[in-house]
Amino acid sequence: MAKITVDGNEIEVEEGRTILQALDDSGLLMNGIDIPHYCWHPKLAVDGSCRLCQVEVEGIPKLQIACDTQVKDGMVVTTANERVRRAREGVMELLLVNHPLDCPICDQAGECKLQDYAYEYGVDASRTREPRRALKKRVDLGPTIVFDQERCILCRRCVRFCREIPKTGELAVFNRGDHSVIDTFPGEELNNDYSMNVADICPVGALTTKDFRFKIRVWFLEDVPGICTGCSTGCNVHLGVANNKVYRYVPRRNDEVNETWICDKGRMSYREIGSADRLDRCSVRNHEGRFESTSLDAAVEASAARLAKLVESKGAGVIAGIASAHATTEDLFVFRRFLAALGSETSGVAVVRGDSDDILVREEKAPNAAGARAIGFADAKGVVDRINSGGVDAVVMLGHDALNESLLGGADALRGLDTVVVLDTHASELQHVAHVMFPVRHAAEKHGLLVNAEGRAQRVEPAVEPAWEAYSDGEVLAKIGAALGLEGFDGRFDVHEVSRELARSNLAFSGIDLDTVGAAGQPLATVVADSPATGGEPR
Amino acid sequence: MLQCPYVTSYLTEHFANDEFGTLEGYERFGGYTAARKALTEMSPADLIELVQTSGLQGRGGAGFSMGMKWSFMPKDSDRPKYLVCNADESEPGSFKDRIMLERGAHQMLEGILIAAWATGASMTFIYIRGEYSHPADCVERAVAEAYAKGYLGDNVMGTGFSHDVRVTRGAGAYICGEETGLLESLEGKKGQPRKKPPFPAQYGAFGMPTTVNNVETYSHVPHIVNNGIDWFRAFGTDKSPGTTVFGVSGHVARPGLYELPLGTPLAEIVFEHAGGVPGGRKVKGVIPGGMSMPILPAGQLDVPMANEFLRERKTMLGTGGIMVMDETTCMVRVASVISYFFRDESCGQCTQCREGTGWMNKIVDRIERGAGEQSDLDVLLDVAGKMEASTICAFADAAAWPIQGLLRHFSEDFAAHIGARKCPFPESFEL
Amino acid sequence: MVISEPIRSEIAAEIAKFPQPRGALLRAMHLVQAEHGYVSNDSARELAEIFGMRPIEVLEVISFYNMFFDKPQAKHHVYVCTNLPCSLRGSRVLLAQLEAHLGIEVPGDTADGRIHLGHEECLGACAYAPMMRIDDRYFEDLDVEKAKSILDSLGK
Repeated sequence: MAKITVDGNEIEVEEGRTILQALDDSGLLMNGIDIPHYCWHPKLAVDGSCRLCQVEVEGIPKLQIACDTQVKDGMVVTTANERVRRAREGVMELLLVNHPLDCPICDQAGECKLQDYAYEYGVDASRTREPRRALKKRVDLGPTIVFDQERCILCRRCVRFCREIPKTGELAVFNRGDHSVIDTFPGEELNNDYSMNVADICPVGALTTKDFRFKIRVWFLEDVPGICTGCSTGCNVHLGVANNKVYRYVPRRNDEVNETWICDKGRMSYREIGSADRLDRCSVRNHEGRFESTSLDAAVEASAARLAKLVESKGAGVIAGIASAHATTEDLFVFRRFLAALGSETSGVAVVRGDSDDILVREEKAPNAAGARAIGFADAKGVVDRINSGGVDAVVMLGHDALNESLLGGADALRGLDTVVVLDTHASELQHVAHVMFPVRHAAEKHGLLVNAEGRAQRVEPAVEPAWEAYSDGEVLAKIGAALGLEGFDGRFDVHEVSRELARSNLAFSGIDLDTVGAAGQPLATVVADSPATGGEPR
Repeated sequence: MLQCPYVTSYLTEHFANDEFGTLEGYERFGGYTAARKALTEMSPADLIELVQTSGLQGRGGAGFSMGMKWSFMPKDSDRPKYLVCNADESEPGSFKDRIMLERGAHQMLEGILIAAWATGASMTFIYIRGEYSHPADCVERAVAEAYAKGYLGDNVMGTGFSHDVRVTRGAGAYICGEETGLLESLEGKKGQPRKKPPFPAQYGAFGMPTTVNNVETYSHVPHIVNNGIDWFRAFGTDKSPGTTVFGVSGHVARPGLYELPLGTPLAEIVFEHAGGVPGGRKVKGVIPGGMSMPILPAGQLDVPMANEFLRERKTMLGTGGIMVMDETTCMVRVASVISYFFRDESCGQCTQCREGTGWMNKIVDRIERGAGEQSDLDVLLDVAGKMEASTICAFADAAAWPIQGLLRHFSEDFAAHIGARKCPFPESFEL
Repeated sequence: MVISEPIRSEIAAEIAKFPQPRGALLRAMHLVQAEHGYVSNDSARELAEIFGMRPIEVLEVISFYNMFFDKPQAKHHVYVCTNLPCSLRGSRVLLAQLEAHLGIEVPGDTADGRIHLGHEECLGACAYAPMMRIDDRYFEDLDVEKAKSILDSLGK
């Protein structure tokens, strides 16, 4: 470790790190010690061309760029004196010479580093009288990104990103001098699974996403911390919320999970929150076989009646439970207790699997498969086999992942069952076979924990409130349990209580409390690996 | 057509003789004896000491001590070490390396061979600007002759030392004359200079320890080895020993090359050797060292052409490209030509350089057109100031200095354009 | 295949001379351009394959350098140097006269595709101004008549 002094503050930093890295490591960068910068990014190779991060280092005559200067024990750095101020002014003024006056029509306004730093470190008035260079303004760069060449400040972050992260390298800087432009190879496009990250890292509005273009001004958005539900990586996100609606996900930095990135599919999965096929009412199948909207109580009654009848006639052994890896840990804990109290011996968690890569995307396409396994759910294959062999008469199902071809292969497999009770967020084929359906909350609409593939419990909180009566899975199950008179079910569901109960009763979750898990998540006490077929063994 | 220098000294005295360009001819004039002496009688450490003590400054524009540069190379290295010969001569006003390549290729090669032995380099890349087709042919011919004679390749001159030479060409970019811009171009990339540290001696061509020297600088080395330090230091000044090949152009009676000792007064070169300004006109200004170096007004031509004196006048020797401008010259038009050049040649990485060169050029052009304001001069100076000492390489400084020099000494021309809203020297560049 | 076998052999020979293959890239581009007059997108793709690079990386290098072209060119490139020493000795006047002579504006091509006329920065011929570079040859110590007749003599 080395001790350096920055603006009079002594800081301990790791040897071999650059000044910017050291400040970033210590959490002080732009958070107490401000060194404005464009081309540097904590997760990309050093560029050193924007020249904005110049600082004074004692003993070195010229100002040094903080992004490329390694710390040495005893180094004395000044980030805020007249010399540095003038240098920053110089860079800012020169950047604005050719930059178009697009703020009124530019999506970046409000989260634009050019605006921010021009205001903080720039000159008061523009001195240029020269026409600005005219370049292409609405380049359709590919399926996800729009590019405005005039706004580009040539920080080259996007070029480095494509080369270093997805390693697809679709972008390059052509020509030289003030004729430099960023572009793709003629006829080719920016098209990779992580393309939309370039819009995050672009400090200005040169690269913007087609999805977000012109939708809303960012200063209307509240950034709610959350977790992407697309796969078991559990990339941290900020949900951009306004008018009780989620307008976008942007990645939230977590160096233990997703660093500063998210895949495009995951980023776009915010759309499922407000999609038109959200279940928005409780339904019960009537005698004619048609679904009828009912109240929660009526649906609870209907479920309890059916299940009770089966228990009486055939015993609880014919009742199976299929859990969802989209539900929170608290929901799943209640479900486990529900099934145990009911006497069901057949249960499992249905997980859809798909492609993975060696960057962020994982096979399991749900955020809480590891959590489900840690709570004791094995893979749903066993349940599916029993259903197919006719040993099951009723199923209580969370979500519809079990319909996947790797499991039930469609709703028909459930057609012969006496009772199908479904708790789900979205409509599915289950509508054709279910007897009772409950609309439940998405992870963005409730409190809870999701455990990612590496065993990290991560917190979600309500970012939006559904426009209809929606419930968490745990709430519904608590009520059905109470209606059935199950031991330990009084009809209440307090997620914080449940969380504490889980921590008390499950070794893996000891010390994990919904209220104390921080923004960066917390590893489970014992980690359960994601394994391909049958769920993991506690280590 | 390229002429041999009108005044010669030890570097160019035999250039007029075609034989000097062949290996046999070169040897008849004493060529390759220094290399043989160095490789068989002197240790690398001795050689480095010799060149360092000689005080030989780089002749490529920066004036850095050649011997000191050699000493930066790691003494022991399991990685191969390389030399680069910077033959990218693109500094406006400079055309001396061109003749060194065309008529003195073996002299340069001998210097390279000695440098290779001194630094332990196994390969030299001679990087020649793309437009120098004929000079490159001359060099390739000389290299082939040297290989055939066993002066390059395995077991040079039977000493057991091996050294290879690769001739490669640029493709039209001034910035490839910058040390690390050249290295990038050599590696097949855009010639965008690298951040330093690391310096080429640590991380150079293809990542290996490398020393980059200029064509002419290499050419001095055999003479120093043959004749010793005292002989060498008898030429030039105490701080700037040796000769250099000055190139004189512009409004002079006899433009051309002149090999003279460093420290020769500028006025002597311009008026005595190059014949002064023809047509009875007066000198207005002289750029002493290639276009990156600030201009000197007519009253300051007494300055000795060596860095220690030129620095006092806020300019430098650079590449010794002397450009003479007479009283018909409009310094605003000169500024326009200069700022256009730097705008065109900026590699574009650093904000201040990319945007600053563009902005300065636009302002100067607007002043030249007659649409300038007094405040434009303040902006020009301010922008030039903001480009200095804060970029990856010195190109931004080189772009700023000439403008500062012109404004320092010729602000009247600018004032005239602004006040009268037209050029007071309409004949400038029109003759 | 756009890049011919003989050129590919030459490129391979160049590659063998460098510690890393990419050191031969500029040389390879010169060779391809000598054959076709420019480096087309298809050539760029083939060069990318030869050197183990992405086509875009080849193209960005082409775009950086004055002497490489990514579009078809006129038969002859004529560049008059208009940098300072040459301008001091009338190169801009010469250029204007050549523009008039060919009936084109700089930078531009003659209608028959025979000549591209442009201006260039310092070519290292300052004492022999005005001068021009035509393809890989220098023509120095010019006057208008000499320059015009050189242009006229350029074959189709």
